[in-house]
Amino acid sequence: MVNSMSIDQLAGSAISIKGLSKWYGDFKVLEAIDLNIDNGEKVVICGPSGSGKSTLIRCVNGLEEHQEGQIEVEGKVLEKDIKSISKVRAEVGMVFQHFNLFPHLSILDNCTLAPLTLRNVSRQEAEETAMHFLEKVKIPDQAHKFPSQLSGGQQQRVAIARSLCMKPKIMLFDEPTSALDPEMIKEVLDTMVELAEEGMTMICVTHEMGFAREVADRVIFMDSGKVVEMNTPENFFSNPEHPRTKLFLSQILDH
Amino acid sequence: MDYQFSFPYIWGATPDLLDGLWITLIVSLLSIIFSVIIGVVCASLRVFHVPVLSSVAAGYVHFIRSTPLLVQIFFIFYGLASLGFGLSGFWSGVLALSLWGGAYNTENIRGGLSAVDKGLKEAAYSLGLRPIHYLRLVALPIGLRVCIPALLNTAVSVLKNSSYLQAIGVAELTFVAMDRVAMDFRTLEMFLAIGLIYLVIVLLLSTAVRRLETFLKAPFNTA
Repeated sequence: MVNSMSIDQLAGSAISIKGLSKWYGDFKVLEAIDLNIDNGEKVVICGPSGSGKSTLIRCVNGLEEHQEGQIEVEGKVLEKDIKSISKVRAEVGMVFQHFNLFPHLSILDNCTLAPLTLRNVSRQEAEETAMHFLEKVKIPDQAHKFPSQLSGGQQQRVAIARSLCMKPKIMLFDEPTSALDPEMIKEVLDTMVELAEEGMTMICVTHEMGFAREVADRVIFMDSGKVVEMNTPENFFSNPEHPRTKLFLSQILDH
Repeated sequence: MDYQFSFPYIWGATPDLLDGLWITLIVSLLSIIFSVIIGVVCASLRVFHVPVLSSVAAGYVHFIRSTPLLVQIFFIFYGLASLGFGLSGFWSGVLALSLWGGAYNTENIRGGLSAVDKGLKEAAYSLGLRPIHYLRLVALPIGLRVCIPALLNTAVSVLKNSSYLQAIGVAELTFVAMDRVAMDFRTLEMFLAIGLIYLVIVLLLSTAVRRLETFLKAPFNTA
């Protein structure tokens, strides 16, 4: 842990967010967010619904436009034109609550679509990469099936593999287990833990507090578009500072 | 009521009818293909709100849907000729039917594209794919499957409306029938004959498209 910390510090910021604000009409969803995430760091964001946590990570890869502030990803400022946004997006994988696999393509084709379109690779290379990551998420035997033939947990693991095929430097997870049956949550979390152990920079919006405890370097609590509290998992769970955090934790942990 | 229905007359007219059928099939096939292409392009412009061009596409659809097809055919055949862009009857017909079907297909395909789950666009974008990639690789393959029944509907209409082209002298099926009727006054025989021929080709077209739909939907059905 100590060792990896020092490497992270040398490597510098993966994501740097300064003074980020966003409105939907008159409603302010994000208010002056400042956040630095180092290479290899794992950050868990939690908070009540409508607190802006999903919006925040969707701003990082430009799925949502922001009105104020600046986002830098791997040293590149996120601009508004589609070409530069697409370049940033190719470096940043994203996993969604509802998997969003392409239903008309086989699992293998889901994984090779973006690399074949955007990277200069042969089909054989792309398929080898895809099989490598499908093995990693432990479903190589499903490669020729279609998404609708897989369980939710399997589909989400394919979605992770599909993102990894672009060899991203950062992975964003937007409530990856919220749409899953309880017994499928573990298989997805296990995959994410493994990814974390390999040193991937990760931001996860999740309410899986066990995962946060085990994996996160920092836990961020958001409410009403603001970062209310940011702390190491130990301090966050055992000694929350802000009353709003205490209330939130008591509500999600005491049952 | 002393009209004598004559099957041998229809039999005798078969070579002429086959010539007409051939023209009907060629005109319809070309027009259906072009109308789908026009539909794909205009629907994409509309769905992606491409500046200026989206409004042009909307105006085009509105214009075609609000004027009679026969007027459009006359406009292209006679109107363009007086402007110095004269086209043959055949190509005027293909152009008119393509534009007519294209307007309806624009709306059909727009419906199909809007039915594609928004999450797929976000997934495609987050992988670094650009809007044009998303359109080509995700939205169209899914959206077109969704609107196959509507596309078939328009294709059948294009085929049937090819009979309007007799008005500008294209020797398609209806023209052949009219021509024979003008000579021999065998109205009942000729119009029954071409009616049945239209019926059969529409049935064949529908069956073929339904097969295609089942084939393309196979991977979705297992859910």
